[in-house]
Amino acid sequence: MSTATRGGAERAATLLPVLRRVLLTRGPLLLFAALLLYLSLASSAFLSMANLLSSLTQAAPIAIVSFGLAAVVMGGGDDVVAGGIDLSIPAAAALATAVVSDQLTNQGAGVIWAFTLAVLAALIVGALNVLLVTVVGLTSILSTLAMYATVVGVIRVYTGNRRITVDDPTMLFIRDARPLGIPMPVWVMFAAALAFWLLLHRSAFGMRLQAVGGNQEAAATSGIRPRPYIAASFLIAGVAAAVAALALVARGSGSSPGIDERLLVDMVLATFVGAAFSRRNIVTVPGAMLGAILVALMSNGLILIRVDNSWIDGFKGVLILIVVAAAALQNRRRT
Amino acid sequence: MPRTSSGPEPVLEMTGIDKAFPGVQALDGAQLSILPGEVHGLVGENGAGKSTIIKILAGVYERDAGSILIGGSPLEDLTSQAVHELGVRFVHQELHLVPHLTVAESVFMGHELSRSGLLRRREMRRRAERFLSERLGAELDGEALIRDLGSAERKLVQVARALVDEGARLVVFDEPTAPLASGEIDRVFAAVERLRDQGVACLYVSHYLAEITRLCDRVTVFRNGTDVGSLAQLDEHSHREMIRLMVGRELGQLFPERSSEPGEVVLAASGLGDDGAFSEVDLEVRRGEIVGVAGILGSGREELIDALAGLRRIRSGRLELVGRRARLRSPADALDRGLALVPRDRRNDGLVLAMSAADNVNLATLSEIARTGWILRDAADQQARRMVDQLDIRPAAVDRPARLFSGGNQQKMVLARWLAADVDVLLFDEPTVGVDIGAKAEIYQRMAEVAERGAGLLVASNDTSELLGICDRIIVMVRGRIAGVVQRGEVELDALIALVTGGDAAGDAVGAGRHAEDAAEIGEQDR
Repeated sequence: MSTATRGGAERAATLLPVLRRVLLTRGPLLLFAALLLYLSLASSAFLSMANLLSSLTQAAPIAIVSFGLAAVVMGGGDDVVAGGIDLSIPAAAALATAVVSDQLTNQGAGVIWAFTLAVLAALIVGALNVLLVTVVGLTSILSTLAMYATVVGVIRVYTGNRRITVDDPTMLFIRDARPLGIPMPVWVMFAAALAFWLLLHRSAFGMRLQAVGGNQEAAATSGIRPRPYIAASFLIAGVAAAVAALALVARGSGSSPGIDERLLVDMVLATFVGAAFSRRNIVTVPGAMLGAILVALMSNGLILIRVDNSWIDGFKGVLILIVVAAAALQNRRRT
Repeated sequence: MPRTSSGPEPVLEMTGIDKAFPGVQALDGAQLSILPGEVHGLVGENGAGKSTIIKILAGVYERDAGSILIGGSPLEDLTSQAVHELGVRFVHQELHLVPHLTVAESVFMGHELSRSGLLRRREMRRRAERFLSERLGAELDGEALIRDLGSAERKLVQVARALVDEGARLVVFDEPTAPLASGEIDRVFAAVERLRDQGVACLYVSHYLAEITRLCDRVTVFRNGTDVGSLAQLDEHSHREMIRLMVGRELGQLFPERSSEPGEVVLAASGLGDDGAFSEVDLEVRRGEIVGVAGILGSGREELIDALAGLRRIRSGRLELVGRRARLRSPADALDRGLALVPRDRRNDGLVLAMSAADNVNLATLSEIARTGWILRDAADQQARRMVDQLDIRPAAVDRPARLFSGGNQQKMVLARWLAADVDVLLFDEPTVGVDIGAKAEIYQRMAEVAERGAGLLVASNDTSELLGICDRIIVMVRGRIAGVVQRGEVELDALIALVTGGDAAGDAVGAGRHAEDAAEIGEQDR
C-alpha cells in the first residue's frame, strides 16, 4: 500500500516536469489545434476547399512579412525585450503597397518600375532601422515601434488617407490566376518561403546570423562581426515587406488605409507561434509560414461562426500574450 | 619533458614583454617559451599578468615592448588574423556556444562549409563527428543540440571549433575546467593529452595546481607581471615550489588588529545547496566575528554569497538568521531579517550613481528619517553627515553625486548605508576589488570596527591574502563544496592557496606540525 502510493508520487514527480515542458514548448500549438477543431465542428463551411484556399490566400502577406520578422529575431536573439524585433515591417509593407498602387494608377508607371520604387521605399525604412539599432544603439522594439508610427503617418500624407484602386492587368492576373487550382498569391508565398528558407537556414550567412543572435560573444570569438549581420537582417525585413506588397495589392486590388494594423498583430502572432513547430523551439521560416496559415484559418473560422470583428482583434492580442509568456517562462527555466 | 637549450625550436617565444595600463604595470619584462609537443602550464595569482600576456598573444592588447616569435618567425604587428594563420588557437574560458545550434553547426561556426552558396550540412556533420572522435576522443552526434549536452561535451565542441580548420600548432586553453564538475574533467584532460600525442603544443592556464601537475610537462610561474620561475618534471613536490614562487611577498601593515569576543550566532547554515553551484554548505557566523569564504572563480563562492543575500534561490538545507529560520526570496527579505550585502560591483549594484552621497547613505533607512512618507530633510542630512564623519568619506560633501567619489570612498558609502541601518549580518563580496592600497587598509579598518560593534561579517574574496589578514576563520570552497575550514593564525598563505586550488598537498599542509611556527610568523607580520 505504502509502496504503491510512493510509486504513484514518484511517477507524478517525473510526469509533472515533462507535462510542464510540453505545455510551455507546444502549448500554443495545442491551443490552436483545439480552436481549429472547435471551428471545424461549429461550422460546416470551415473545412470546405473554398474556405481553405481563401485562408491560404490571406495567409500569404502575413507569412511573407513574418519571414522578414524571423530574420530580425534570428539576428537579434529571441529575448523579448533586449532581442531583435521589427514592428515596422507591416508599415513598410503598407508603404510599398501605396507606392505600387499610386504608381500604377495615378502615375501611369509600368509594373517593374512601380515595384522597383516600392522595394526602394521599403529598403529606406529598413536602412533607418539599421541606423537606429546598430549605430544609435536603441533597443529594436522601441525604435521599430516609433518607425511604425512614423511610416504610417507618411502613408496617410502620401495617399491623403484614401483608397487607391488598381486595375493593372498584371496585378489582376496575380489576383485571379490559379495555376494547378491554387491561387497565385499562395504561389508567391511558397516561392518566398523557399527563398527565405535557403537564405536563413541553408546558407553560411543564415548560420552566422543565428550565431550572432544566439550568442554575440560566441560569434565574435569565431571571427564573425555581429553588426553587419544585424544590419543585414533589417534590410532583409525591408525586402520581405516589399514582396508582401505584391500579395497585398493583389488581395485588396489596390491600397487601402489601415491594412498595416491587422497585419502587425497577425505577423507577431504567426512568427512566435511558429516557433512551436521547430525542434529547437526557435523562430524559423517554415514555422512562420505554418503560423501564418494557422492565424488566417483562425480569423476566417471566427468570421464563419459569426464572431463580431471587434472581438477578433482582442482575441488575437490575448493569444500573442499567451505565446510570448510561454516563451518567456521557458527562457527563464533555461537559465 | 625537460629539454636543453640545444633542443627543438620553441613554437612560441615571448621575451621581454612589457604592458602598462593606467596606474598599473601589468607586464614587466615577462617571458614565456613553449616547445613543440608539450603541455605547458601557466600559473600565478590574480593580477600576476597571465591573462594580459594571453590577450597580447591573441591580439586583444598591444604590447609596449618585447619580441614575439611564433615558429621562429618574428611578429612585429601582431593581429589576431596573423596569429591564427601561424597556427595559434584559443579555447576561451567561457562556453561560447549557442544553445539551439547543433554540434556540427557549432563546430563550423565562422568557417562554414558551403558550395554555391548553400551549406554542405551532411559534410559538416560528418567532419565534425570525425574530428571529435579521432582528434578529441569524443563520440558525439553532429545533429545533437548544444543545450542537450553536458558541460564537458560542450567544452569539447568548443575545442573542436578552435581546431577544426586544421593547421593548429599551439592551442591556448584558458581555465578549461572552470565550469566543469570533477567527474567531467577527465574527458577534457584526455582530449588535451590526445592533442599532445598528435604533436600539438598546448598552453594550459589554470588556477588548479593539481591539474597542472597532472597534465603539464613544464610550468611557468608568473608574479607581479613577470615570470619568476619555471619547473619541469612535475610531481607532488612541485606544488610547494609553485606556490612559493606564486606568493613570494609579505603581508604588510595592511590589516588592523582584531580583538573582539565572539557573541551569539547571527547566521547559521546547515546543508545549504542550490541548483548545482554549491551543495552541503555548513557555516556559522557570530557577532563580532569576521568569517572568510575562499575559493577560485567557479568554486561556488559567488553563488553562495548571492544565495545568502537573497539574490539566488536556496534549494536545500536550512538557514537561520539571529536564531530564527529564514527563507529569503529577495534582498529585501534579507534586509528585513537583518542581513545586508556589500556587492562586488558597487558601481552597478551598490549605488545609485546619479544620487547624492547623502541619499545613497540614507537609502536603506528612509522610513526612520521620514514621517508619513515625507522625508525630513534635517534628519536625513544629520544622519548622512554622521555616517560620512564616522567612515571618513572624502570629500565630506554629502550633496555630491556618488559617481564623483573614488572607488574606495564609494565602497565606504555602501558600508555607511548598512551601518546606518544597524544590520546584524553583513556580507562582503570582493570588498576591495579595484581600490588602491591606501583605501584597502582603510576599508579593512572599518570592517573590523563594524565587527567590534557587534555585527557578524562574512567576506568572500578571490584575494586569499586579504582573507588571511582580516578573518577569524576561513571557509574554503572547492567545486561547490566546503573543502576545509582554517582558523586565524593556523595556516600560512601557501597552505591556504594549496587548499583553495584543490591541491593534493593541501591536506598535509593544513594542520601539519611544522606549520605552527610559520603561522606564528604570520601573526607577527599582521602587527
